[in-house]
Amino acid sequence: MNSTLAALFTTAIELTGTQRFLLMLPLCLSVAVVYKTTRMKDIRAIPAAVLVLWATIVLAMCAVGVGLWALFSILV
Amino acid sequence: MGPVPPEPTTNPAIAAYGPRRTVVAAPFAGLLAWLVPGLGHIYLGYHLRGLICMVTITLTFWTGVAIGSVQATVDPHERGLWFMAQLGTGGNALTAYVLHRAVESPEPLGARPVFTAHWLSADVGVHYTGVAGLLNLLVILDALGRAEASPVRRRRRDHPPGIP
Repeated sequence: MNSTLAALFTTAIELTGTQRFLLMLPLCLSVAVVYKTTRMKDIRAIPAAVLVLWATIVLAMCAVGVGLWALFSILV
Repeated sequence: MGPVPPEPTTNPAIAAYGPRRTVVAAPFAGLLAWLVPGLGHIYLGYHLRGLICMVTITLTFWTGVAIGSVQATVDPHERGLWFMAQLGTGGNALTAYVLHRAVESPEPLGARPVFTAHWLSADVGVHYTGVAGLLNLLVILDALGRAEASPVRRRRRDHPPGIP
């Protein structure tokens, strides 16, 4: 049991490029959850606000990525 | 979803102990929030907010460690600035560092033990743990702000002594 638990944190998971990109989604969700938990006055409004912020962060990051890729394609 | 328990409208530390104790309550809440993410909020009576922060930040940190492995993720020698960000999670980062030291293979004096994880995994792990630490800084500041927002301080701010 202990060795299994230790192996979970001492053995790295091999990721592909797509998986790395997809792992951005839960990280953005964490940011949205913590930020909205500290800012919202009404706790019941947190889930909806988190979803909106999460979608905003993901879409904005995708837009920045596409924009930079387009700029790179034009310049190089 | 069940009914959400009511949150305190004033600082419970004041309600329970009086204004003098708030001098201690704010730093103590900050210390608790650093040691265990969300514990400062729970101490101040914001149980649900504290629990949400605790689960989210702890899960984010240890997910990062699981992805990148503790050797490649929590490494103050190779990733000093990231380690400073990770230290924002306090107890989690210190536990991970102890685990890092425990699994580090013994090497002759002067030689640095080398552990290599796949760079993609190590990168993602470091980002997860670093962001968790920075998020906890936000939670610590929020706990300090909530501890400071006492009715006594608000009254003093709105009606300074000596001014009618």
